[in-house]
Amino acid sequence: MRAAAARAPRGRSLRRLRFVAWVVGRNPPTMLGLGLVAVFLLLAAIGPWIVPDARDAVGAMHLGSKLLPPSWAHWFGTDEMGDDILTRVVLATRTSLWVGLTITGIAIVVGTPLGIAAGYFGGRVRSVIMRATDMFLCVPGLVLALAIVAALGPGILHGVVALAIVWWPGYVRLIEAKALPLRGEPFVDAARTMGSSDLRILLTHILPNCVSPLVVKASMDMGMAILAAASLGFIGLGAKPPAPEWGAMISTARSYMPDSWWYSLFPGLFIFLTVLGFNLLGDGLRDILDPRSARG
Amino acid sequence: MRRRNFLIASSAAAAAAGLHTQPADAFVREGKRKVLVFSGGQPVPVLDPHVKYDYSTRMMQQSIYDALAKYVDNPARIVPWLAKSWESSPDGKTWTFHLVENATFHNGDPVDAEAVRFSYERGLKLNKGVAWMLKDHLDPSGIKAADPHTVVFTLKSAFPGFLSFVPWWFIVNPKEVMAHAVNGDMGQKYLTDHAAGSGPFKIRRWDPQAVMDLQAVANYWKGWPEGDANRPAGVIYQVIREPAPRKAALLRGQVDMVTDMTPQDYDQLAKTAGIKVSSNPGMTPFTIMMNTQHGPTADLNFRKALAWAMDYKAFLQVENGAAKLMDSPFPNAMAGHIAVPDMPHHDLEKARAYLAKTKWAKGGLTIDYVYVAGLEVERQLGLAVLSSLQPLNIKVNVQAMPWPQLVARGSNPQTGPAMIAVYVTPVSTDPDVVASQYASSAAGRYWGMHHLSDPGLDKMVETARLETDPTKRMALYAEIQKRIVADQPAIFGMMEDRRWAMRDDVRGFVFCPVRLTGEVDFYPMWVA
Amino acid sequence: MIRFIVRRLGLMLLMLSGLVVITFLVSNVAPSDPAALAAGPDATPDMIATIRHEYGLDRPLPVQFLRYVAGLARGDLGHSIVTGHAVATDLATFLPATLELVLLGMLIAVALGMPLGMWAAVRRDRAVDHVARIFAVSGMALPEFWIGLLLLLVFSGWLGWLPIGGQLSIADAPPAPITGMVLVDALLHGRLALFWAALRHAILPAVVISLPALASVVRVNRAEMIEVLHADYITAARAHGVSRARIVGILALKNAMLPTLAMIGLRFGWMLGSTVLVETVFDWPGIGLYAVNSAVSSDFKPVMGTTLIIGVLFMVANLLVDLAYGLLDPRVREAGE
Repeated sequence: MRAAAARAPRGRSLRRLRFVAWVVGRNPPTMLGLGLVAVFLLLAAIGPWIVPDARDAVGAMHLGSKLLPPSWAHWFGTDEMGDDILTRVVLATRTSLWVGLTITGIAIVVGTPLGIAAGYFGGRVRSVIMRATDMFLCVPGLVLALAIVAALGPGILHGVVALAIVWWPGYVRLIEAKALPLRGEPFVDAARTMGSSDLRILLTHILPNCVSPLVVKASMDMGMAILAAASLGFIGLGAKPPAPEWGAMISTARSYMPDSWWYSLFPGLFIFLTVLGFNLLGDGLRDILDPRSARG
Repeated sequence: MRRRNFLIASSAAAAAAGLHTQPADAFVREGKRKVLVFSGGQPVPVLDPHVKYDYSTRMMQQSIYDALAKYVDNPARIVPWLAKSWESSPDGKTWTFHLVENATFHNGDPVDAEAVRFSYERGLKLNKGVAWMLKDHLDPSGIKAADPHTVVFTLKSAFPGFLSFVPWWFIVNPKEVMAHAVNGDMGQKYLTDHAAGSGPFKIRRWDPQAVMDLQAVANYWKGWPEGDANRPAGVIYQVIREPAPRKAALLRGQVDMVTDMTPQDYDQLAKTAGIKVSSNPGMTPFTIMMNTQHGPTADLNFRKALAWAMDYKAFLQVENGAAKLMDSPFPNAMAGHIAVPDMPHHDLEKARAYLAKTKWAKGGLTIDYVYVAGLEVERQLGLAVLSSLQPLNIKVNVQAMPWPQLVARGSNPQTGPAMIAVYVTPVSTDPDVVASQYASSAAGRYWGMHHLSDPGLDKMVETARLETDPTKRMALYAEIQKRIVADQPAIFGMMEDRRWAMRDDVRGFVFCPVRLTGEVDFYPMWVA
Repeated sequence: MIRFIVRRLGLMLLMLSGLVVITFLVSNVAPSDPAALAAGPDATPDMIATIRHEYGLDRPLPVQFLRYVAGLARGDLGHSIVTGHAVATDLATFLPATLELVLLGMLIAVALGMPLGMWAAVRRDRAVDHVARIFAVSGMALPEFWIGLLLLLVFSGWLGWLPIGGQLSIADAPPAPITGMVLVDALLHGRLALFWAALRHAILPAVVISLPALASVVRVNRAEMIEVLHADYITAARAHGVSRARIVGILALKNAMLPTLAMIGLRFGWMLGSTVLVETVFDWPGIGLYAVNSAVSSDFKPVMGTTLIIGVLFMVANLLVDLAYGLLDPRVREAGE
């Protein structure tokens, strides 16, 4: 029975993949999202080799040419240390990617098992887990991050910790909602009567059914986590200088407004386009993978 | 090219809105009189003159309160104020102040010897703010009101620096303060956002986070230097936290004077019609304190290597040239300052020579540079340090910390970072203020985070502090400056110029170096 | 229903205690000496100790925690070590400005978002729809602090149309507080000029803070509308000759109202949190700016107080949304019991 079950989805998944490609192709916003995400990943991968001068991200100084407006030599202008903003913005991509992945990753790793446990076991386990989840849901993430700045000082790791604390409850809720109805499904009952252990049921029956919504949410969350991390950079939890980070760059650039407008414009544009990319992609994925919840 | 276009565009927009030609807005008038509007980035959470001081706070305190004497002019002089004269006994222990007869508090009470005695006692007993200046030399019992217009201070020991602190001890009205005392707080709660002073201004509206509106006291007991016709109706201190909107407010004529701007802003404002920038030599050394007890910087040769490796020119560039490199641990305006021979400058050969005498001849280590989170210039200087030490193969971890955490870490030699960026404005021109920062008694204090322990230096500082012969005293301080440089507990950086930008109808501004960076004395000022 | 509310209130209390523990722990993870800041850079160690003692910071952490909790029970959120002010008083001073901003933002989100979402639905898969969809997603993707800076740059810096920040310029003394919200108070006092001045200050930050909510409202309304347009009774109504405009205008609006309000209610807590950014950019004297300024000086009690108050408001908003849903939608009420 298991072998048959395993074979059938493969054929289905191939067909499904073609269907997905077709749907995406006909959906301009999703295409746009995919494109933006692809560019973002590409920049993160090859950034150091394509930027004008990678040393500008590790503490080089050209104080003779500080705060120059965009020009042919410096497409995005220069900052207060005379460093090329294009270089720094591009190299900050990796930091943001890392932050987005870490926050989303921690949230999934913490939230999914809790959600599955709550949904599958129900009863007291569920109510304890869900109450804890509710509690963390009402922690205002940015303000908590402020408290962390006040206590620990700036540092991107501190920001990641603050965001991870408030990020996982979303996954518990999502997975719990998916797992709860599965509990009473005949195939779960059947597995149980055939002597499967709880763990096995969870891994082979419940978890696979939660993958689609998980992928959709993770894609959306990548964008939101990057945005939240940039916000932390702005309020002072950014990367350690001289490492470039978008939010921190805008925070510094604020002192040089309005005359050096380019300094805050470009990092912000990068945040916006990256987050937009992940959001559009997530939106499109939801339409395809999880059509029933395509609202709100 | 693009930039020029933008400048033209923005000044055109400003001209279109009539910004440059328009006088300050109508609200800054009161009848025929004008109100001077000043803007800085720092609020005034605690007005109490015995509890707290920083530039914005003391600017308000100096406006609302008087002291026995006052610092004016450049170079700074101490002139009589509530005291019309004073004398000290030959042994330097007893100081007698004779008060003016006509001074009154804003509520009409006379400023008498008891008020002075009470204020000093309060300052000492609260043990906050200004207390450190005198507490080692004066007990509350040593202050006597001999008659209504004579106060006698009997110090525990001779202390030539005594007078240099007197201008910072403001006199409060004992009756008003004690009437509002709760739970034995000597009126601290009340004076946090109320005043009980005798100064040229009194509070009209007090929103310490945003707008502090002061009204000129028409019949101020000392009169108005600009004449009653020119006297302003009052002064408003408006807090605008970010430099960009502060600059815009100045350009639009919503404020008359600003401080706390970026070097770029000052350069640009200086070129703007209708705005003038006052640039003055600073007295606030930027130094990088090194941990002399723990880690690689415990090795004098390592410290010397760092000091000689610094690219001091970059420090100046960060300030757009509006700064002066230090040629001594003492700021130039300090009494007894000398240019110390052989002051470290950028010389990589020498730096390498010193480094060769350490365990880290080839570098290959990482040290911390810690600065106060949010201080933009300190961050940029940290990057300059990072770049300076690259040739020595020393990596620098540039780390921001909130002030309280920085102090918590730095005040313990075991946890103290290798380098801490520090700005300290000496509160007076008495050289002891700076010299004692390098004595071992400085341990545990903000500027003592170098943890230097040089018994010889301690002795020199102690002797110089109590020396009453001025010539001998200054000679001692010359030796002290050389000794400090030899010990190299810090990298002596630069002194940032003190700058203010104001509309060109602002009159009467006088720079005085002992005031804190940004602090202005409003008393002689008005708007034409 | 009553049982439901009581149970929820009990849960809120539990959640609140959790929040208190979290914020207290966070505030004390690192060695820090806020008393040193309050004492000033020249202070001697014994002066710092004086302040430490005054604020009870020299006591063991568990004692500090118990004292804090005991204070909370009396409505005392502790004192700021920088100003000496009671945090509860400070929050009461600054909260109205924040609420004003958030409420105005919600108003903008609903007033603009509902028609836009419906329009997009009616023209589904056409250009308008794609634009609305990209716009809706953009609203979520725009960094508020960045767009705030750009709007300031353009409307206040270059065009000079709007003031540069704050709640009122120094020329205008705030109205005598009734609600504490300047806009509302100005209206209540009948001072239209002041209202206008305050509105000019509030409009940019309110627009910025509304963007993510606006995006959500557009999405919700688009989805609701699409559903409604396909519903049987609409087809029936159209077959009976009811005009399209009428269908869109009345039936769909009625249906979209509840989810929109729920969405806005749930967004409320989020918007409160983001005031930290928006108030910083616009120098808006609310609790967000208060928290930021306090955090800069490691003044923990105000930061903890702000965290708690936002947490509580968030819980209350959620409860109200649930109640509204329960009252209006019997299915939810049954599920909630």
